[in-house]
Amino acid sequence: MEFAEHIKTANVEDVVLRQPLQPPSRGTLCITGHHLLFSDREESDSRQVLLLLRNIDAIEKRMSGSSGTITMKCKDLRVLQLDIPGMEQCLNIAHSIETLSCLDCVSAMYPFFYRPVDLSLPEQWGLSSPEMHYSQMKELYEKWRLSTVNRDYSVCPSYPPAVIVPKSIDDDTLKKAAKFRQGGRFPVLCYYHKKNGMVIMRSSQPLLGANRKRCKEDELLLQAVIEGSDKGYIIDTRSMQQAQQARMTGGGFESKSFYDRWKRFHRQMERGKALQESLIKLVEACGDESNNMDRWLSKLENSKWLSHVQNALSTAGLLVECVERDGHSVLVHGSEGTDCSLLISTLAQLIMDPCCRTMEGFLGLLEREWIQARHPFQQRCAHSAYSHARLQQESPVFLLLLDCVWQLWRQFPLALGFSEALLLRLATEVYASDYGTFLCNSDQERCALEVKERTHCLFRALLRPTERDYYSNPLYERTELAIWPSVHPQSLQLWKGYFLRWTQQVRHLEEAQEEIRNMVIEWGKLARS
Amino acid sequence: SFRTIIPTRKESLKMELLSDVSLLPGEERITDKDIIYICPFSGAVKGKVLITNFRLYFKSSDADVTVTLDVPLGAISRVEKMGGASSRGENSYGLDITCKDMRNLRFALKQEGHSRRDIFEVLFRYAFPLSHGLPLFAYLSQEKYAETGWTIYKPVEEFRRQGLPNNKWRISFINKSYDLCDTYPTVLAVPYKSKEEDLRKVAAFRSRGRIPVLSWIHRENQAVIARCSQPLVGMSGKRNKDDERYLELIREANDTTKLTIYDARPNVNAVANKATGGGYEGDEYQNAELIFLDIQNIHVMRESQKKLKDIVYPNVEESHWLSSLESTHWLEHVKLVLSGAIQVADKVSSGNSVVVHCSDGWDRTAQLTSLAMLMLDSHYRTLRGFQVLIEKEWISFGHKFASRIGHGDKNHADQDRSPIFVQFIDCVWQMTKQFPTAFEFNEHLLLTILDHLYSCRFGTFLYNCESVRDQHEVRSKTVSLWSLVNSKVDMYLNPFYTPESGRVLYPVASMRHLELWVAYYIRWNPRIRQQQQSPVEQRYKELLALRDEYLKKLEQLQLSDSSTSSHLANSPTPNTTSSSTSTPSQQYTHLQTPL
Repeated sequence: MEFAEHIKTANVEDVVLRQPLQPPSRGTLCITGHHLLFSDREESDSRQVLLLLRNIDAIEKRMSGSSGTITMKCKDLRVLQLDIPGMEQCLNIAHSIETLSCLDCVSAMYPFFYRPVDLSLPEQWGLSSPEMHYSQMKELYEKWRLSTVNRDYSVCPSYPPAVIVPKSIDDDTLKKAAKFRQGGRFPVLCYYHKKNGMVIMRSSQPLLGANRKRCKEDELLLQAVIEGSDKGYIIDTRSMQQAQQARMTGGGFESKSFYDRWKRFHRQMERGKALQESLIKLVEACGDESNNMDRWLSKLENSKWLSHVQNALSTAGLLVECVERDGHSVLVHGSEGTDCSLLISTLAQLIMDPCCRTMEGFLGLLEREWIQARHPFQQRCAHSAYSHARLQQESPVFLLLLDCVWQLWRQFPLALGFSEALLLRLATEVYASDYGTFLCNSDQERCALEVKERTHCLFRALLRPTERDYYSNPLYERTELAIWPSVHPQSLQLWKGYFLRWTQQVRHLEEAQEEIRNMVIEWGKLARS
Repeated sequence: SFRTIIPTRKESLKMELLSDVSLLPGEERITDKDIIYICPFSGAVKGKVLITNFRLYFKSSDADVTVTLDVPLGAISRVEKMGGASSRGENSYGLDITCKDMRNLRFALKQEGHSRRDIFEVLFRYAFPLSHGLPLFAYLSQEKYAETGWTIYKPVEEFRRQGLPNNKWRISFINKSYDLCDTYPTVLAVPYKSKEEDLRKVAAFRSRGRIPVLSWIHRENQAVIARCSQPLVGMSGKRNKDDERYLELIREANDTTKLTIYDARPNVNAVANKATGGGYEGDEYQNAELIFLDIQNIHVMRESQKKLKDIVYPNVEESHWLSSLESTHWLEHVKLVLSGAIQVADKVSSGNSVVVHCSDGWDRTAQLTSLAMLMLDSHYRTLRGFQVLIEKEWISFGHKFASRIGHGDKNHADQDRSPIFVQFIDCVWQMTKQFPTAFEFNEHLLLTILDHLYSCRFGTFLYNCESVRDQHEVRSKTVSLWSLVNSKVDMYLNPFYTPESGRVLYPVASMRHLELWVAYYIRWNPRIRQQQQSPVEQRYKELLALRDEYLKKLEQLQLSDSSTSSHLANSPTPNTTSSSTSTPSQQYTHLQTPL
């Protein structure tokens, strides 16, 4: 294995590990190609810490005399410290961690090596596929069809091979419409509202450019979506000004004159770098241990994280209002249609559709919207809040989604079939995982690397009986109603379970939650017996 | 006949509008009137208002907006006329009502014929009965309950529960006619070695005679929480040998090497108090250390709450919510009170006795002792134990409820008013949030307590101290709030409560872990209100029933168990360990979380 060349020192004795919520312990440190393993020397009650190197976001090393200290800041926001005897050993370990924690080669990543004894590689990777999804939705058959125009990823490299489109639109039209949309992401169906037959469509921005090109096929496609109704809505996740500026670089928005039955809303949503910087500020504030009157609330406000949460939830609320209340179909896009569009379409489905609120439903939703419809996880989650590396494509959009879902869970403690623990698990897995689910940037890349054949699928693992029990919400009661969140800043809270996760208090609350879950399950069992 | 029919119809419509008000026994209608409620959330709403000797009730008559207001007159702090007979503009003539519970009400009337005069007068009279020589509603109420709340707290019984008297502490009745201290209760626990004349001498050196007395004793290590007022040191730095000796007795009672005196005030305020004859314990108190807890006075707390109200009512601050919240300092004050109580609890649980005081020892002191006791003693975390805690540390020890709340008093600008008790309940709420399984009662109890802090429907929070309460025969002439609570216990229980008797709760008093109590401070705003509240309440009720059923079955199981194995026979409750491997009983024992 080529990992060996990065490991000059594989074992060190007499290392002291300091980690949150635990007393320091002394023991042996081991570095492998993917892991850092620490085992202490206590005879009784011996403890091991196994950490994916991928989880380490940044390290700091400090030398003093003949020993050194390595501080490791993890993507799950944990901060660990190693006191290592011997300068050379310490430098070697630090070098290994630095290199191995951010290897670019996907096929060398741990999911390709993860082979638990109790699990064989699945015959079916993932929970569903666009084909299965379509075949289960009989309501769609009359007006919608499954197109395999993208079967070889040539029309849109970031779409799955099969997508749902209006029946009246043929593949040739789709091909032409795709040329008019950034990255080929032509409008496809992502949600069908059974109550009134309205739909949510997703796409990227139209490529109008400075000289306002138009595309008949794209217009036809959208026209077909609202056939039989008087109008549709477009929610553009950029401000009007941003959308106009996008024309200078070849993009743009659907103009009134060519799409006269579509009404456009602009809702500026932060993305990319701004979102990443917000996360960095927030995590910095959360980690500030100074105990004086530290103006915590101002720092929290300045990080703007909660206003991003608010913005995402209220834009999703707008989308739900259009579909559920006004009874109109909606097209959602920003520029690329791979970040904010996914965020708000996911939230809207969760708010409207009780089927998305069970654990299977929720994971299925994530699979459709984020894995199949392609959120570039590898780029977005390469680093988290601690990294000093220059920011490239990193952006915590998925984390923002989980935070928004947590806010829903807090406001509607009975409505979701899963618990906070599931959201925490996903928030950890998305940055560093044993599973292949969040690898790569698209379905096409996953196929090229045989991710589906050579790795385990997280979503399937989470639905095994023991795991499913663990992540279920004991208070869950299905409601058919939409769960409209309150988006006032007074109604939103910092997600302490995640951002203050490694504090005693939050750990205690986590335990209390588990205690409550066990209690309720136990009562139910005995009452039924 | 046409003429007569229309008014009758109108009349019957009006009657219907107010027909669903169910009045309390003893409650009487005073007047009703057509009025416009200027709702800050739905705009001007036409309807009818009913004033009784207890409440203001409003119901909208518009078919499309249903607005109902049901406000106890006790919650009103100020009634003002808005606009004059010649004011222009729609709805500019009417009444402006400021409430004590974080809301304001505004009503508009027709300008013709001085239409607001009677309603203003009626409101003014019945909202502030004491200013008009009228009795508070608690004295008119004819409510009957299955339970009598007045017996929930019996001082001697509570001392006995704590293991008192013992060979170090005795129960003294020196204050039985309130002549040692007119703001203290009649039953006091004092060091065994102190003589009655010592107590009198100490009383002379403590502000208002509030001598150090025991509030709570730790069963194992015998460390105590004692409370008092400031010593009367004054500018000249007076000393009092008896006071010094008395504190020594408290220290010696459990061989504490150093007695810790917690002065709740900021250092500078304690110094400033010398100018008015007060002060703090100096070096002459050997074997004692003095720690200032930096908690601000009643005026600062009142202003802080006022600022908080400004950003949540009628409109919530939107764009800079967190920094606005920060600038009210409300959470910072909550933090300081909590962290003071944590220090007290920690000191006591590590075996050292403490004395807590502020200036008079009835505001900050009550907050600190009662919160520390709540952390130390799980009994106070039960539904009834919490009632005892409030009766004991707040009501019997003379927190000046009448002055701080201003029951029935028109003087809204009284500088004595302050939300000290609200702040205490807020601290309790913070603790319940941090320890969701440690309290037997739920948020609804805390809200109910705060509602009746103002309502004047019950005698519980009336008057400043026991001696005045006796004069006004509160116990015989009014109903206790605990009668209401204990008659329908289900409403106030936390289904997830897990009793853990030995556990000390240390909440985290860092700003990061404190939250604004939105369900109380912003509850009048329908847009902020927790959504779908009723299904949650319903679900919790079901869970309570399920839990009861579970406990019943568990008991049966254990009974049948104990018939075969005798060692279980002396386990009194289901929460002691059972030898069977069934998880239910483990559930209660494995929860001990190390802190």
